[in-house]
Amino acid sequence: MKGFQTNERTSIIEINRKKCKGCDSCKSFCPSAAIQGKYGAIHSINSEQCIFCGQCLINCPFGSISDTVDTVDTVIHQLGNQELTVVATIAPSVRVAIGEEFGLEPGTLATGKLYGALKQAGFKIFDANFAADHTIMEEGSELIAKIRHYLLGEPAEHELGLLPQFTSCCPGWVRYVELYAPQILPNLSSAKSPLMMAGALAKTYGATQIWQVKPENMVVVGIMPCTSKKFEVSRPEFSSAAHYWQQRGSAAHYPDVDTVLTTRDLARLFEKMNIDFNRVEASTDADNPLAQYSGAGTIFGNTGGVMEAALRTAYYVITGQELPLLEYKPVRGLQGLKEADITLKDAKTGQVITLKVAVVHGIKDNLKPVLDQVIAGRSPYHFIEVMNCPGGCVNGGGQPINPMGTSWTGNWKALLPWT
Amino acid sequence: MAHYDYVEKAVTVSRREFLGMVGVAGAILWTGAYAATDLVQDRNKYIKMRAQGIYKDDVKAKVRQSHHNPGLQDMYKQFAGQPLSPLAEELFHTRYIDRTKLG
Repeated sequence: MKGFQTNERTSIIEINRKKCKGCDSCKSFCPSAAIQGKYGAIHSINSEQCIFCGQCLINCPFGSISDTVDTVDTVIHQLGNQELTVVATIAPSVRVAIGEEFGLEPGTLATGKLYGALKQAGFKIFDANFAADHTIMEEGSELIAKIRHYLLGEPAEHELGLLPQFTSCCPGWVRYVELYAPQILPNLSSAKSPLMMAGALAKTYGATQIWQVKPENMVVVGIMPCTSKKFEVSRPEFSSAAHYWQQRGSAAHYPDVDTVLTTRDLARLFEKMNIDFNRVEASTDADNPLAQYSGAGTIFGNTGGVMEAALRTAYYVITGQELPLLEYKPVRGLQGLKEADITLKDAKTGQVITLKVAVVHGIKDNLKPVLDQVIAGRSPYHFIEVMNCPGGCVNGGGQPINPMGTSWTGNWKALLPWT
Repeated sequence: MAHYDYVEKAVTVSRREFLGMVGVAGAILWTGAYAATDLVQDRNKYIKMRAQGIYKDDVKAKVRQSHHNPGLQDMYKQFAGQPLSPLAEELFHTRYIDRTKLG
């Protein structure tokens, strides 16, 4: 197949021919025109064009689209193996959605219960919110270095990419750039996504300093709201931990993150293991440093979250003071394109600069004007956050499918106001 | 030769009845469209409810900026040094691929 590296997964999303009614709903949500088939005919997905975001899946009115990678049984098997340490890396937006699968209201913050249920299943915890904070440190430092070089005229210590800097947390967006806008690859932050940082850190620092186990006996499971993450973990370049240990005399090969379970997959895992989510006792992991996270880490799940978190840190590093009002409203909400500018006074030189930022969510509807400006070299911005799914990860392709939003033609409950 | 015999339909619809039927059909279509718009709005409601849950998590957090995360500060002290250090570059950064050039 074209456009794939060796050993990468070439297909994640699939349309069931028997259930497809050819209604074209999926096409209206697909950001990369990967769905083929005329109106009324059975549709199919072209994997070479697909970015695996799963928006078609959660929005199909007939429930005819599914993701093809099911590792629930494998993970249950690994949890039963005493020699393995199975680490769950929980994305921010899983904790506000997993409850829906067990009858809780959408948006219920279920962090404690989620920790409790994961521990009962036998997982160790590495909160991806920690990794989100970590991403801010790496990606934010990269942005700060670019600001110091391009805006304040300081000589650069490292080789730097270009401004505007794009975020690189969203695997759907990264694949979109690699397929459809390779000319802006130098603008993409070189920082890995939080999940991939978590994997590399878990199998190095986590293995030796936190859990005292051999990295080759570790299984890192991403608990993600996203189907595109299932593709991301298969990318061959994400085996940095194994590479690190090879330089130190090990011969083992393994990926940084072994597998990904979506929010829906995790709910199935709990059901298969007879864990009653509603009765599980809430738990914290207070003494585990890799489960510590800041508010900035958790807001990564929303559109604008990465930007807000990055501004909190960039403002502090450049001006030497904390951002006066932490809730940075201009980047919040569901408006298609959100813009803001923020004035910073460099603590070192006293120079004043205005940083212009933009937030895009929903590649299909909102990306084009911003991307065209950057490609033409006319972009007014310095930092641009892009999330593929409308609303950000809270509305990801791996999240619970709700009777209100999706599969509703087959679900009368959704249509009847009194149920 | 074939013989075709057309018979006028026995059922006739008066103007009043026709208007009544149009009214009923219109009402059904209108309710359906109303329900469908509702559903689309509800989809946004779900996104908003989940987003609110996340902002709640931020507000109740003791530490609200990434650079103040104590576990992360320890990690840099004990392991990676500082952001963008050679080890951090090796483990936490990546390169991208121009997929238009892959076979």
